[in-house]
Amino acid sequence: MKRLKFNKTSCIGCQLCAQVCSAYKEGEYIPSKARIAIETYYDRGELKYADHFCILCGICARNCPAGAIKMDEYITVDHDKCIGCGACAEKCPKKVVRIRDEKSYICDTCKGDPKCVKTCPQHALTFE
Amino acid sequence: MKVTITLRGTLKKYFGEDKERVYEVPEGCTCDEALRIAGINYREIKNFGFVSVNNKRVMIDDRLKEGDLLKAFSKVSGG
Amino acid sequence: MTMMGYQNKVLRVDLKEKKSSTEPLRMDFARKYIGSKGLAIRYMYEELKPGIDPLGEENKLFLTTGPLTGTPVPCSGKLSVAAKSPATGTMNDCSIGGHVGIKIKFAGYDMVIFEGMAEAPCYVVIEDDKVEFFDASDLWGLGSHEAEALLAEKYGREYSIMSIGPAGENLSNMACINSDYYRQAGRGGIGAVMGSKKMKAILIKGTGGVKVADIEKTTDRILEILHEDVLQEDNTYVYDEGTTAFLEACEDGGIVPFKNFSSANDPEWEKYNGSVLLQYREGKRGCGSCGLGCGNFLKIGNAVCEGPEYETIAAGGPNAGIKDPEHIVKFNEVCDNMGLDTISTGDTIAWAMEMTEKGIHDFGVRFGQSKEMLEMIEKIARKEGPGADLCHGVKYCSEKYGGTDFAMQVKGLEFPEYEPRGSWGMALSYAISDRGACHMRAYAPNEEVFAASIPPYTEKGKGKMVYELQVSNAVKFSLCLCDFWGTISGNYEGMAELMRLITNEDWTAEEMFDVGVRVINIGRAFNQREGFNRAHDTIPKRLVKEALGGEGPAAGQRIPQEAFDDMLDQYYEVMGWNRDGTIPEEIIQSLL
Repeated sequence: MKRLKFNKTSCIGCQLCAQVCSAYKEGEYIPSKARIAIETYYDRGELKYADHFCILCGICARNCPAGAIKMDEYITVDHDKCIGCGACAEKCPKKVVRIRDEKSYICDTCKGDPKCVKTCPQHALTFE
Repeated sequence: MKVTITLRGTLKKYFGEDKERVYEVPEGCTCDEALRIAGINYREIKNFGFVSVNNKRVMIDDRLKEGDLLKAFSKVSGG
Repeated sequence: MTMMGYQNKVLRVDLKEKKSSTEPLRMDFARKYIGSKGLAIRYMYEELKPGIDPLGEENKLFLTTGPLTGTPVPCSGKLSVAAKSPATGTMNDCSIGGHVGIKIKFAGYDMVIFEGMAEAPCYVVIEDDKVEFFDASDLWGLGSHEAEALLAEKYGREYSIMSIGPAGENLSNMACINSDYYRQAGRGGIGAVMGSKKMKAILIKGTGGVKVADIEKTTDRILEILHEDVLQEDNTYVYDEGTTAFLEACEDGGIVPFKNFSSANDPEWEKYNGSVLLQYREGKRGCGSCGLGCGNFLKIGNAVCEGPEYETIAAGGPNAGIKDPEHIVKFNEVCDNMGLDTISTGDTIAWAMEMTEKGIHDFGVRFGQSKEMLEMIEKIARKEGPGADLCHGVKYCSEKYGGTDFAMQVKGLEFPEYEPRGSWGMALSYAISDRGACHMRAYAPNEEVFAASIPPYTEKGKGKMVYELQVSNAVKFSLCLCDFWGTISGNYEGMAELMRLITNEDWTAEEMFDVGVRVINIGRAFNQREGFNRAHDTIPKRLVKEALGGEGPAAGQRIPQEAFDDMLDQYYEVMGWNRDGTIPEEIIQSLL
């Protein structure tokens, strides 16, 4: 199974990944709703990285009490079944599941053709 | 006569791994002519910048002498 | 009237009353001036009455984004920070990178305008439509880095921070505004304006978005532009080397100032070349929406900075007669933390070094003295000892102590690190710039020094050359695009396409060019109202009277007064201005 990989030494923290993700998924340039959140920041003289992206670990699917999350080659969330309990978000080791209006939003790797990877100007994100 | 040519910025790719190359060029040839012997025609390279001889900027048609170091820079923009 | 890409909203913050309000963006202004630089100047022309005290309560601080801000248009993450300048008395718009610009946009605003003055030190927290004011007495007096670290710990990293250091608090003409540690709105004492308002910091978080018409089609095209135009090798040198790449080009070009612009080459420049500095690089960082990633985060010994940029290398190194790379990085770090512009601070100390060497006035610092230079930065920021004078910059100091001929400034703004005797167009560019000596208005060396067949040591053709460079930058910066997207410069159709994509309205290359000319004119009109004219478009006597020293290619050059006057005439003519440098009334009317 192909997964997103992140090479932090190449990342410049431009957040184009999140902007483009939200464009195709939410119809708006709105990183706060994106299904990826990678950023770099300075903290007292150190350059640090925050890398919230789906690694297809499947923990969300295994912990969904409503059986709304399915994982094959990518993750799908059935919003008819989703009860918005937040179990998936709570268990997500990468803290990348977003709960909004009692529904769960999870990266589906653009069905195996992730736009963030196509966007990343420094090839810090790959899909392999 | 012999001159040494070295490239900077994105022009470096024209010399591959070589930091500099020495060329045999006609007596009194211009920087432009010497570069063309090295396979570099500034008119055809969009981001060609300028040349210096022995670390001093000169005009592209200025003449070289034996042993000169000719350096060609790609364009830099902004500041 | 509204337009896609804009939030169509301005946030106005009253620091005296601790209140805020919102209002629609003046779309009639946006149509003519687009955003960022141009829009900020148009607002300043409208709202800042002539003759106001730049450090008084009538001055305002304008943070201005543009329609492209917050979209994935590459290199669109810059923010204009503008106010009337205490250093020059002109308008002043600075450009700052980092993430603060896109956060303002995501918070829902095109512009934030700070008005009035707080009675006691405060900081302001903006989170979407919530604006709160807090006591900053515990932060007052701290360096920018310390203050930002404390605020980041308290609020978390979802906020971008803008802050001032002691220099801004003490109203230095050289004070800058920092953002997220290592980015600055540097010039013209913009930090003193923030300091005069007793505002130590601004925190901004935004969770909203930016809407465009056909987002899939627009985004597809933007990604093509990113990969095909932006990420080509003409531009990607900024990732590999950043502006450290300029040093060798400027050395061979003969325009790196040495010892307060007395010569323009340092035979030992390789000691602090990029190839040396970048050995210490720990990481790369770009601004929001960047793509290119110019920032070099590096540490040498106990010195740390994002940079140093070419300007800072030259100002902290050769222009002060110092060749130690660790000193240069420390100079950068201390200036950032104290909230001082590296260009003006470096130049002012270099001038003080020359004054001391010449025995005109002893400022206690000489060429080559690293320790004394670094200590002087703190003295300037805290107005201690000689710093109490030097904090005002070289114009003030030379009028007080002498040495005006070699006070390297125009209108009170110190020279960026390019020697005009090696690039005559730069002399014109500094002289006509709307905020005093600035390299971001028209970057002349690009055309006449870093070019194979254009002669730098002549006045011929320089008026038009500077005009064309200036128009391009005026549009580019009004689109809030970064300078380092070099291949978009002069590409008006490319810029028009970006506007069409984001606003879903017709924009033509001709209209974009016209915006550029208009932006130059409105800046000039602001200054004209403040009493500026040809008499102020001058260069220091050193450039006219003294042959350039050293062994560089421009050694022996000077710029004869007639040649300089001729360049001014050429430039005024192409701008359609009067010979006395004033703008005809019909042009002014067309700007409004």
